[in-house]
Amino acid sequence: MYIMIYSPETNNTLHKPLSQKDLRDLASRWLDPSRVPQKFRIITDTSDFFRVEYDDVVILNDHPYLIRHNEKEGRFGIDEEPKFWVKGAIDLIDGSRKILKLVFHERFKARVGHLVFDCVRSPVKEARVINLVRGHHSFMQGFSVKDSAGNVVRILDYIYGKTMADYAACAGENHEEYFYMHFHGIFKGFIEAVKAIKFLHENNEIHGDIRRDHLLRDKLTNKFRWIDFDFIYSHHENKFGYDIFGLGNILIYITGGGDITVQQLRAMKPDIFSRISDEDLNIIFNNRVVNLKKVFPYIPESLNKILQHFSMKAEVFYDNTGQFLDDIMDAEDSMHKT
Amino acid sequence: MGKAKDRNILIAVDESENSKRALLYVADFLGGFPGFKAIILSVIPVPEEGFFESGEVKQKWVESNKEKVSDMLERYRQILIQSGFPEKKVRTELVVTEDTSVASIILEKQKELDSCTVVVGRRGISKSEEFLFGSVSNKIVHMAEKCSVWVVE
Repeated sequence: MYIMIYSPETNNTLHKPLSQKDLRDLASRWLDPSRVPQKFRIITDTSDFFRVEYDDVVILNDHPYLIRHNEKEGRFGIDEEPKFWVKGAIDLIDGSRKILKLVFHERFKARVGHLVFDCVRSPVKEARVINLVRGHHSFMQGFSVKDSAGNVVRILDYIYGKTMADYAACAGENHEEYFYMHFHGIFKGFIEAVKAIKFLHENNEIHGDIRRDHLLRDKLTNKFRWIDFDFIYSHHENKFGYDIFGLGNILIYITGGGDITVQQLRAMKPDIFSRISDEDLNIIFNNRVVNLKKVFPYIPESLNKILQHFSMKAEVFYDNTGQFLDDIMDAEDSMHKT
Repeated sequence: MGKAKDRNILIAVDESENSKRALLYVADFLGGFPGFKAIILSVIPVPEEGFFESGEVKQKWVESNKEKVSDMLERYRQILIQSGFPEKKVRTELVVTEDTSVASIILEKQKELDSCTVVVGRRGISKSEEFLFGSVSNKIVHMAEKCSVWVVE
């Protein structure tokens, strides 16, 4: 096993066999001395991702990564369970924080509202998308390599920042204040994110799991970045439909400053609740209100019309992301003028 | 006076009951009448690269589906022949395609064969399902040009 190590003394890279001492020296550059283990377990085959643990060193393409922890929700998944195939790591060469996504061929039935469809977690697809979006400021960045067993491991730059959900939900308790003070900035960020999805679709790729917690505002660039591209589902006749639905849901969420449900309205605003009909509800999630102008009358008509394309009343659906983008840009433009 | 050219009827089927009903409708409606050729088409949409764990798994999936669908097409061909279509005027076609809309493939075939009519079954999907995943029959109805479309429920 060999490793390329940059040597400040010679201003050069050394191609030398990796020893335990090398690893300790590398780790001591980035860790407190008390945290540097005496001996590292070295892993080159990540097939059994449960075995890849804290303080192990995973060598990929002759490059060492020191494993710190399993990632948890907030960034990946639905609950707070650890994702054993997603490892937080330190790149021992430059000290940067990375996420290693190991291969987990998960095949399951996804449930969205009352619809159920086949879905797979595909490392190959995610690697392909990462390659496509290299250098694009609206996507997580990284690359993929094969481990010694041929598993496609994705090595991702860690993104420091909050999710779109955090921004929209925490921006203000009073909706009117949120809408006039914070919404416009979030909306502009969202428009950039939609442009990015359009770019994917134009390249015949889907995101596959568009959710408000899969969109992070990078503290370094202050721009939103999409994360997690590994889902593929059986998309039948409309390859991009599920992505567009995801975009619609985020727009509804940021416009409402959170999900506005019939249960909330019944409890907190019974007068408004009495005016809500089935047609005002989300086409898939039938407890969420989409016709938000009934709840917040100051929401502009141009924006509210877009939301209603995702309602049970909708007769015309967005065929592609370009149509959706045109409408939200028009809405943003008209809001800017008023 | 020259002999009139046969009209091509393109019947697009999958393994669903609705497709079978569409085929039986054509058999009932046109079987025994002269002047028609029937092409029974089935499209196998292969999920995109990365859906399967390996190329080998994918190949097995494709082969297994091709076998099933070929058997179905032969059964359907026999049904049309028994209904009165001359044997030489019924043929089948199987298209295996990656990452493409089934409706588009059917309409490409319609153009290629200059079919006067496309016949499809209809699953009767919900509005929400159509919203997320689209509908082959609706797409054909909306996109078809220079032909009639029979949607059999």
